Amino acid sequence: MRILILLLMIALSPLAGMAQEKLNPLKAPSSPASSILDLQPKTVLEPKSYRALETALYSNFLNSNAEAVIPTDFALEFTPYWTKNHSLSLEEYLYPKSAWDQLVRNSSFSLASTQNFILGDSTKSNGLAFGYRTTFHISNQKDRELISNYRTELKTNQRISNLIVGPSELLAASPNVSNKTDFLDQIKATVTKAIYELGGYKTIEDATAVVDKIYEDASLLGELDKNDPGPFLDSFYGVIDKNLHADSLYNEFKDYIRNRQGLSIDVAFASFLNFPTNSFEFSYLPKSAVWVTPTYKFTEKLDFIKILGVLRYEWYLSEYYKRYFPEATIYENNFDYGLSVASEFKRFSIQFELVGRSSNTTIPAGTDGQGNELFRKEKNSDFQYMGTFNYNLTDQIVLTYTLGSRFEPFIEPTETLISLLSLNFGFGTPTIDAIDLSKE
Amino acid sequence: MRKTYRYRDLVYPVADDTDLNFTVEFISDGNSGITTIFVPGNPKPEIEDAGTVFIGKGSQLRGEIIVCVSDLENPIPEEDEIRVKYKINDTLIVEHHNPKSEEERPIVILFLKFPKP
Repeated sequence: MRILILLLMIALSPLAGMAQEKLNPLKAPSSPASSILDLQPKTVLEPKSYRALETALYSNFLNSNAEAVIPTDFALEFTPYWTKNHSLSLEEYLYPKSAWDQLVRNSSFSLASTQNFILGDSTKSNGLAFGYRTTFHISNQKDRELISNYRTELKTNQRISNLIVGPSELLAASPNVSNKTDFLDQIKATVTKAIYELGGYKTIEDATAVVDKIYEDASLLGELDKNDPGPFLDSFYGVIDKNLHADSLYNEFKDYIRNRQGLSIDVAFASFLNFPTNSFEFSYLPKSAVWVTPTYKFTEKLDFIKILGVLRYEWYLSEYYKRYFPEATIYENNFDYGLSVASEFKRFSIQFELVGRSSNTTIPAGTDGQGNELFRKEKNSDFQYMGTFNYNLTDQIVLTYTLGSRFEPFIEPTETLISLLSLNFGFGTPTIDAIDLSKE
Repeated sequence: MRKTYRYRDLVYPVADDTDLNFTVEFISDGNSGITTIFVPGNPKPEIEDAGTVFIGKGSQLRGEIIVCVSDLENPIPEEDEIRVKYKINDTLIVEHHNPKSEEERPIVILFLKFPKP
């Protein structure tokens, strides 16, 4: 019950109020910074959502006495390009001219913080992580064909709409029209001409069938108010839009843009900064990682499946671990490789990942007869598997639960169980207008 | 139902022999649309997405209310707003703006008059 109350409080907090109206449902958190800090156990970084600013709180929301706690770990991811307008056309957006354009537009910077990074002697220390990632989408022939078809159909609908809307506005204000019947009678020829000439119908009869359906629906509209024709006209345009299926076509196109068919490649880097004495003056960079995450999105019958691969190289600073984790066995170089399958449904998504690890480190092995230091190379392998369930509480708040077995931690190698709950908050792009305090 | 934004009583004084060029300028990212200007006669000048089109001389548009209709949409997930500037001979007539949370597919209608200066 206390968990529910806490979740409700967070959902209704001022943070949620600050967020703009719903636009694009947020995805589960997966920033490079939170990953390097082990705030999230997954190795596979899913492509970022489209929010300019995201935050996440990580906690199981309960302490050892089963009491609700305020999370002390958080992550933030920021995509600067989308905080201002660039007059970017849809064409330029869909087909960036160069890899540089893609890199700039998709660059996001992440920051994560924890006050609970436990050192080898069980003392708590502060940890900070910063990360960067970008995405490259490789458009293929099928993708281009689909987009071209959508755009052609949408433009056709827009042209038809314009050819009806312009004359309708003038006709509704004309003294020759006194009521709805007059208006519908006099605009019918314009509607029929626009739909027949631009709608791609083979015969006038086919076009007339669509017009008849429009008029059947329009007959149910309220009366035309000559002093305020706007509401009637808006309803009439709505009827035309519905019969041209323009709204559903637009929504299909919008969904497709978010889940374009083909290959995209995420490239990410993150580094972990630890303050072992909790003094800002004294810090280490004990761990860094680079990720390459290729994602393939299927279309048509398999459009609900996404396959993600991962290649991650993690390297550890042995000097730091020898000093603060003297009992632990640390491998300086870790190469992770694996696959993840993700599927999205209306409000929830699931993801399974299986990742292997190959580690090696160089260990001092005494000296030779001439006093030269000798080293030996030690190797190890491991694997982790876990499932993640994400549920969109609202379009701006995602609840994530992860369960599985992770790579052996270097402090307690047998404690591989992962059971983690997290919340992710998304914010729209603040514009100059939105923050102009001089505006009334 | 789609939301329609009407801008009435827009006036651009112009001499008889002055050429009039109508411009649509997309400010926000990812906009797409068709703009049709209902001047007397056919064909009606049209702008696909953004651009400039010649709509006639001052004398040809005198005394009429010229209706200009833009059917706009913005399908890209990163953009939160639709912002479009309408200009005549580089003079700003209207800057339309609406948040996408209000309408992602707005119809924008300008009612223009071209009196003598």
